[in-house]
Amino acid sequence: MSESSRNPLRVAVVGCGAVAAIHHLPALHSSRLAEAVLLVDKDRERAEGLAREFGIAAVATDAEEVPSKAEAAIVALPNYLHAPVAIDLLRGGIPTLVEKPMARTVAECDAMIEAAVETILAVGLEFRFFHSSSLVRQVLASGILGAVRRFDLRQGVVLEWPLSSDYLFRKDLAGGGVLMDFGSHLLDLVLWWFGDPATIAYYDDAQGGTESDCRLELSFSSGLEGRVEISRIRDLPNTCRIEGERGTLEVGIWDPDPPVTLSLNGSDVELKGGAVAPGENGGGGFREAFRRQIDDFAQAVREGGTPRVSGAEARRSLQLIETCYATRGDLEFPWMSWLPSEAP
Amino acid sequence: MSAPPSYQGLAGRRVLITGGTGFIGGRLAERLILEVGAEVRALVRTYTHASRLARFPIELVQGDVVDERAVRRAADGCDVVFHCAYGTSGTQRHRARVNLKGTESVLGAAAAAGVRRVVHLSTLMVYGATEDGDLDERSPRRFFGDAYSNSKLRAESLALSSAASRDLEVTVLQPTAVYGPFGGVWTRNVMSQLASGRVILVDGGSGLCNAVYIDDLVSAMLLAAVEAKAAGEAFLISGEEPFPWSELYGAFETMMGLEERTVTMSAKEARSHYRHDRWNRPSIVSEGLRMLRGDEELRDRVLATREASLAQWMISTVLPEAAQKKLKRRLLSSRSRGGPEPRDSDELPIHPMSPLMVKFFLPKTRVRIDKAKELLGYRPAFDFAAGMERTREWAQWANLLS
Repeated sequence: MSESSRNPLRVAVVGCGAVAAIHHLPALHSSRLAEAVLLVDKDRERAEGLAREFGIAAVATDAEEVPSKAEAAIVALPNYLHAPVAIDLLRGGIPTLVEKPMARTVAECDAMIEAAVETILAVGLEFRFFHSSSLVRQVLASGILGAVRRFDLRQGVVLEWPLSSDYLFRKDLAGGGVLMDFGSHLLDLVLWWFGDPATIAYYDDAQGGTESDCRLELSFSSGLEGRVEISRIRDLPNTCRIEGERGTLEVGIWDPDPPVTLSLNGSDVELKGGAVAPGENGGGGFREAFRRQIDDFAQAVREGGTPRVSGAEARRSLQLIETCYATRGDLEFPWMSWLPSEAP
Repeated sequence: MSAPPSYQGLAGRRVLITGGTGFIGGRLAERLILEVGAEVRALVRTYTHASRLARFPIELVQGDVVDERAVRRAADGCDVVFHCAYGTSGTQRHRARVNLKGTESVLGAAAAAGVRRVVHLSTLMVYGATEDGDLDERSPRRFFGDAYSNSKLRAESLALSSAASRDLEVTVLQPTAVYGPFGGVWTRNVMSQLASGRVILVDGGSGLCNAVYIDDLVSAMLLAAVEAKAAGEAFLISGEEPFPWSELYGAFETMMGLEERTVTMSAKEARSHYRHDRWNRPSIVSEGLRMLRGDEELRDRVLATREASLAQWMISTVLPEAAQKKLKRRLLSSRSRGGPEPRDSDELPIHPMSPLMVKFFLPKTRVRIDKAKELLGYRPAFDFAAGMERTREWAQWANLLS
């Protein structure tokens, strides 16, 4: 084992917005396999403030400095910058973990994958690192539920994320609205759990801007039918309920350590609790999920393996999102009409 | 087929909305775009709550409504400014400042930017504690007594006097209780009150509720932006007919599938309940002791302070030994004492009603909307049943009904 592969992976964080400050930097701080060595942000003061807070030696205002100071990079920039910045880094031989969504379009994803032929491209879909997500995948694979008939995924949280600009609401910069934002996590899980759908129908509330609420209906060749509702303007149960011919599995999907409930048909008891790794008491929240993600990335870099969510994996959900936007219909709300309903 | 409403004249015009991320401004923006075809710009303090607005091709301009330069930038090139922003967070003092300073800066910015008309959203509360019988725009304005109402009255006075001193048309609307999809005070708050306890109906809720469905208010705002005769005038905006408060709470109870979530009290009983409830609330001392008992580290740190040492010395010198022991037991015991007595678990708590709110719910005031009908051509399209049906459909979608 070489010297460099025994030491923690030296990571540059490119983009010092909320997700870097709240998730990536604390995760890097607690990782034994990786450490932050450089912070890059066009706002130097912002980078310096976070560097002081997390004890990081170097800051820069341009990602060009990454190859000379770090071995790998996390790109946590606004969506429209994911592809150009990651492509430059990847071409320079820097293994890169890109925040979700991977990019705005499938074409951008393809260019990123092509740039990563010689190195590693991972995508920050940390929901895959929730123990509950792994458990669902394993329960489904085990056949305990029998043939899976239907799922209902309802995720809605009124947006309270601190936004420093309007980029999240601009289709040209963000690539879309809530489907692109929250949806990139959820559709990634749907594809990971259930595979690719045969047909879809998609509706959202955008009227020339970006959608804040949407509904996706999916049919699979196995006969499985699914519905996904996503919102940033209403609070929904934040669960996915999966019905099989022998039982039901319900899992929280917004909380990193959600309750999971398994009920088998005909049984008068059910199994309810949190998914944990053997020897652990809990999942450790977002920090641990992000830590597991960075460790998975560092391990792939050190050992030359494939990260859990590679560029090719993340491209699948982008493809689905793109199909949704291309075939969208309007969500209809009775209260949108300014005239009272006609009396029957 | 009737003629299209006069506000269709706003089609293609640029308008600015302050408070566009809120209930009223948000619905106004939707209709300005979908129904009227105006070019909408919205001043937003932060982008966080702009999701609903961002569904449309709306120009979002970041800035605080109290910052006249920011409002001036946003008002540039606008034909009309709808001023819906008001203080919703921070201290009462801060909220009052946003109401007054915000109005001042909107008026200044609109005049400087050459805006044709400002529609200023005021409130029924500028009439203070109302009386039984008819109320119209000639009724005296009075301070109601709380920071919101008082500052809204000052802001309205400023808006109307500003119209005279500046070359600026200002129209003031005074809506009553506005309810409907995405509503706050008279929709979601009513629902959360009913969900979490029982609501007092003063005199059985026989006082009159003057309420207006959101879309009727928005129609009035649109008319106020274009009707020539509206310049310099104030208009009360309400539904066609008031109804008892018991009907409002009853309708929400029905919508939510709840029963017996209201309790009748006389004004005197409600005031007495409020005093009693305040008396039974934990004091800062009892809450402090509770925190200290619960957290050993915090307790040790507090006891190590200079002030605590001084207090301990005084206690040991002044208090008899038995009292000292009792105090020590109380501080160190992990068993909860003090604070309110546990309530009967079968009975939901009654939300206390402040004496000011008792005054609000008591009178049988009938708000007259004749002036708005005559000068604006305002015609409320939703009676309470129709408005509540829309509200129910929205609440169902919003996952607020179990």
